Amino acid sequence: MRLRLPACAIALVVAMTCVPPRVHAAPDLVYALRNVRIVPVSGAVVASGTVIIAGGLIQAAGASATVPRGATEIDASGLTVYPGLFDALTDLGLPAAAQPAAAPTPGGGAPVARPASSVRGPQDRPGSTPWIQAADDVKPDERKFETWRNGGFTNALIAPKAGLLPGQSAVIALAGERTSDVVVRPAVTVQASLTPTGGFGTFPASLMGVIAYLKQVWIDTAHYGAWLDQYAANPRGIERPPHDRAVVALHEAMKARRPVVLTAVTATQIRRALTLAAELNVSPVIAGAHQGYDAVDALGARKTPVIVSVKWPEKARDSDPDADEPLRTLQFRDRAPSTPAALARAGVPFAFTSDGLATPRDVLKGVKRAIDAGLVPDAALRALTLSPAEMFGVADRMGSIEAGKIANLVVTDGDLFDEKTKVRMVFVDGQLFEQKDATRPADAGGTRPGVPAIVDGGVR
Amino acid sequence: MTRALLTSALVAATAAVAAAQTPAGRATLIKGATVLTITRGDIARGDILIRDGRIAAVGTSLAAPAGATVVDATGKFVSPGIIDAHSHIAIDGSVNEGSLSVTSMVAIQDVIAPDSIAIYRALAGGVTTVNVLHGSANAIGGLNATLKLRWGATAEAMLFAGAPPGIKFALGENPKRAGSTAGPGGQQRYPATRMGVIDVIREAFTDARDYKRQLDAHKASVAAGKKPLVAPRRDLQLEPLVEILEGTRLVHAHCYRSDEILQLLRVADEFGFRIGTFQHALEGYKVADEIAKHGAGASTFSDWWAYKVEAYDAVPYNAALMTERGIVVSINSDSAEEMRHLNQEAAKAVKYGGLTDDQAMRLVTLNPARQLGIEARVGSIDVGKDADLVIWSAHPLSTYAVAETTYVDGTVMFDRAADLSRRAASAAEKAALIEKARKATDAPRPADRRPTEMSRPQAPAPGALEGAVR
Amino acid sequence: MNRLVTRLALVAAGLAFSADLAAQPAAAPPARAYAIRGARLHTLAGPTIDVGTIVVRDGRIVSVGTAVEIPPDARVIDGMGLTVSPGFFDAMSQLGLTEIDAIAATNDFAEIGEFNPQLYTATAVHHASEHLPVARANGITHAGAAPGSSGGFGGSASIITGQMSVIGLSGWTIEEMLIAKSVGVLVNWPTMNTASFDFGASAFRTRAFADVRADYEKKVASLRDYLQQARRYVAARDGGQPVETDLRFEALRDVLSGKLPVIARAHTDRDIRNVVEFCRQQQLKLVIAGGDQAWKAADVLAKAQVPVILGPTLALPGTEDEPYDKPLSRVGELHKAGVKVALSTFNSADSRTLPYEIGSAVPYGLPWEDALKAITRYPAEILGLGDRLGTLEPGKLANLVVTNGDPLELRTTVVHVFVAGQPVSLSNRHLSLYELYRSRPRPAPAR
Repeated sequence: MRLRLPACAIALVVAMTCVPPRVHAAPDLVYALRNVRIVPVSGAVVASGTVIIAGGLIQAAGASATVPRGATEIDASGLTVYPGLFDALTDLGLPAAAQPAAAPTPGGGAPVARPASSVRGPQDRPGSTPWIQAADDVKPDERKFETWRNGGFTNALIAPKAGLLPGQSAVIALAGERTSDVVVRPAVTVQASLTPTGGFGTFPASLMGVIAYLKQVWIDTAHYGAWLDQYAANPRGIERPPHDRAVVALHEAMKARRPVVLTAVTATQIRRALTLAAELNVSPVIAGAHQGYDAVDALGARKTPVIVSVKWPEKARDSDPDADEPLRTLQFRDRAPSTPAALARAGVPFAFTSDGLATPRDVLKGVKRAIDAGLVPDAALRALTLSPAEMFGVADRMGSIEAGKIANLVVTDGDLFDEKTKVRMVFVDGQLFEQKDATRPADAGGTRPGVPAIVDGGVR
Repeated sequence: MTRALLTSALVAATAAVAAAQTPAGRATLIKGATVLTITRGDIARGDILIRDGRIAAVGTSLAAPAGATVVDATGKFVSPGIIDAHSHIAIDGSVNEGSLSVTSMVAIQDVIAPDSIAIYRALAGGVTTVNVLHGSANAIGGLNATLKLRWGATAEAMLFAGAPPGIKFALGENPKRAGSTAGPGGQQRYPATRMGVIDVIREAFTDARDYKRQLDAHKASVAAGKKPLVAPRRDLQLEPLVEILEGTRLVHAHCYRSDEILQLLRVADEFGFRIGTFQHALEGYKVADEIAKHGAGASTFSDWWAYKVEAYDAVPYNAALMTERGIVVSINSDSAEEMRHLNQEAAKAVKYGGLTDDQAMRLVTLNPARQLGIEARVGSIDVGKDADLVIWSAHPLSTYAVAETTYVDGTVMFDRAADLSRRAASAAEKAALIEKARKATDAPRPADRRPTEMSRPQAPAPGALEGAVR
Repeated sequence: MNRLVTRLALVAAGLAFSADLAAQPAAAPPARAYAIRGARLHTLAGPTIDVGTIVVRDGRIVSVGTAVEIPPDARVIDGMGLTVSPGFFDAMSQLGLTEIDAIAATNDFAEIGEFNPQLYTATAVHHASEHLPVARANGITHAGAAPGSSGGFGGSASIITGQMSVIGLSGWTIEEMLIAKSVGVLVNWPTMNTASFDFGASAFRTRAFADVRADYEKKVASLRDYLQQARRYVAARDGGQPVETDLRFEALRDVLSGKLPVIARAHTDRDIRNVVEFCRQQQLKLVIAGGDQAWKAADVLAKAQVPVILGPTLALPGTEDEPYDKPLSRVGELHKAGVKVALSTFNSADSRTLPYEIGSAVPYGLPWEDALKAITRYPAEILGLGDRLGTLEPGKLANLVVTNGDPLELRTTVVHVFVAGQPVSLSNRHLSLYELYRSRPRPAPAR
């Protein structure tokens, strides 16, 4: 099937002069989504329009767009198309087993980055594998990907998470057979954790030990980095710098100004992470942020990007019914969902992470709680689409419905945050995944790639 | 001051505080109390004028400036805020980085938990300044943080600006014991004897001396116009030890037995530095002359003893005996509980060893201030010092004394009447939140509730563990 | 007069802080009678006598009052400016059962096994422990030596931990010291706690409440079964059936008959209510020990007339939201609610702080006289020794503390202590070390 270029550009439509070669194995179909309500996120809502999808990209989107010859037309009357949803932090598709750890787990044989007994201090780089790239390790997991697509998710930032410096993240698409199909952008952020991984006897065994360690690693990175660069330029007369894999990887990442993702949940943790980031001279991204509502001043000062976990804090189901839970714990649970609204008011960029929630339905429910706590629905949608794309440097290619961007779309039969709304279709890299039995977000059952059933007019 | 408040109990507390505090430029006059100045004896029916967070005047029959808040303290006692020279409260995570024998790279300042309820409870005991120390698992532990208990402020805003930096050392059973058993996956840690402990310290200072030479040489060659290609690597572990050698960082050395005190004094003499304080120093009374001669302070417990072998010769007369021999002595808590009644602990030095009331009060006010190098700011009721004050219902050395109001920088940080009056409101709020949560959870809930790093319960660690290792 | 004679000789130079009577034990053989004349007398049996005299003879108080005749053979102490109170009773202590807490070899308070009613702490009280004279020097004249629980952190492995003996804190052998071999059997009431600290992983672990509850119910059922077996045993023996002697069940006779109480360590509101109900069903006499949250259960305790031996007031609140002063105010609250409260240290080395622990509760709502009673009369009554101890009344054991002021005040000095009618030395390990090192010659000035 050939792609017909549009004759003219109108409104939102920007003419494509060329179509990049497809690198993934999706059916090379051209789709025309007609009579659809378009929520582009980057611009005004189009009450009824057309979206043309070709070569994996959005070829055109607007109130009127010329349908290319041979396009598969889909009458989407009564449906709404949004940019595909973006989980801003997950480990989807990453191997769970081969994660490095600083110390062996008692009784377990988890592989270790370095045997605990040989860690004599920061110089032994405990729990540090910053060279690990999610982009190298991701293995498309069709079963899981499908679950998330069914809920409207088309993209994610995936990151390794074991250890103190687990590695670097990648933006992926949630469809594809091979690693090469799914990676949208490799080496996006550097992951860092302040949670000690060792026991009492293994450095660093405490929060303060981890912080001290990270400071020293960054000092070493600057020190050896400068040395390495000098040596690379002209080795004569300079002592050969030692090879330190962790430092080399961090040096490259810092030269590329990659942001550092730090998990921080409480206001104190958020402030602590920001202080540390300033000391390390890195651009922080805060992940978690349940008590962000009490740290808006600190986050707003430099408009630090935040990945808010929508796995809101709640009482454990099997807890003691008579336990005297502290008032502030109750307040924390009550107020956590107000964080996104508070961030939005302060102009702090934020996105959402599923944070281990099993289904996209749970994620949307979590987002709904944020909306109930004052977040404007448009801002919620942005946090699920364009904001993470901006945060992770891919807004030039995805995150909104604009001609030329990757065709990552979700088509629903109603408002995204309405619990009754069902996801009808999902496009990932222009590939259509349709729900035969349209289900609510996250319900089991599935979209399968293939020829659309809702076809009006057939092939031209 | 940033007020990142966690709870409405705190909000309420702060609202009460805000109502009573002294805004910049406004004044508070505390009238008619017995003022325990510490430096100049007691003033009967004395007045204290607070302006801009400082003590502006102390005397009798002071006139209230226009607009001043006047506090009638007739029949009550006012003392300087209590200073605890040894505490482990308000630390997030472990009090010890117990993995290595030298952990001078870690800093308490990085892990302050400004919302720890222990801070409020300490204020309720009249404590206004604390020396928050690393634990005693290592021969050379982490860096301390001197805090003003500005309840409601951020961690950063609680730091006592200008307080000299310090570090924790530890001698005796604790650093030995940390080496005696291997944790899972770990190996037995050196040292396991007192000679090993001293060796660890000597080795560390030998390294620090070499590191200092490197730094100095680099500095000299830069000064001489040479451009060395590679500067020495900044070493966070050795840097604080260089500061000790240069006399800019205070050593707070946990110790019990008299022999280990002398052992550390020898190392200090060998490397040419001074010990700031011997902490606990339960046998300090046996070598008081040696401690005094070195110029170190001693911070001890009032009457704890026999909980371990090296505490078997502890005596409640320790503070008095060391005071008699010319040591600057303080009584510390090392405990989130004990710190709530350091006034009572000080009183025991009157009973055991016959210190005067004034000397006893100094053990928890001016003397710890001197030991921490902050005596120019706090520790006595003198004009120009910070208005860190406690209004007591009775003489603070009495069993029956109750801290009624605690001021930090002229701001009410604790007020007993306010605390009592907001209890019902807090309970009502709590009941309402429980009911609200119960209604919400009647709805279907997400299936996966396994905690993750982000969603793990964030309740503060139980205070029971604070300062668990003496 | 006691084992400190040799040390006293060593430090004979300075006894400024010890009693003059005790200072000359060798010189002055004990008298049969003593009189303290013109002192303030906190009788705790009636109003305080501002200026009065108390006479003791052969170990017992013989007269107390303003117009008391002093027998000619009595050794007389001028009580001007002094205050006489009943000797302090640390009802739940570990005195004599431990020397150095961290050294397991010196600890004898916790035995292995779930049910050990046959153990009597008096068996193991080390009469020569250094802790005893230290406590005594601050007016502790008698103490309960409470059996504890084994089982590691939290010590919850044992249920019946043994029988508590009460000792006087002076004597050359336990026989000379023993006041009661048993005042009750200690039950470590099972608790439901979902959080526990895992030392291996250095982290808190949370167990599901359902599991914790199941464990709890199993333990309570095993206690119920055990008591049932003991009852059957007693009935069989008393019925003349040929049953072999069982020391454990024999030791429960007085508890099953209601003569001695179950002294149950219980802290939470829930646990306290549960144990009160358990003992009601089992028709056992009950004393709550510990009782951190007894204030929450004051209604049932008052109704069932169950007394409480509280732990220290100088303690942290049990939960974050508990008022900061709850450990201080709860004593007065319970008292006001009509619950009989005593206070104890549950400790050995810290036993001497008993008067300050209770004194600290006074400004938080505990009447002063009830405070003094909470460490004298009330614990004696609670433990069935009210006819022998706790007040200054003729016929009672002459355990007295003589101070130079308010006995609960920190800066007050203990001047004399009488145990069983005899003045005892106030010297101890601490005073001896003090005198020894106070006399250390100062180094010669630098030349």
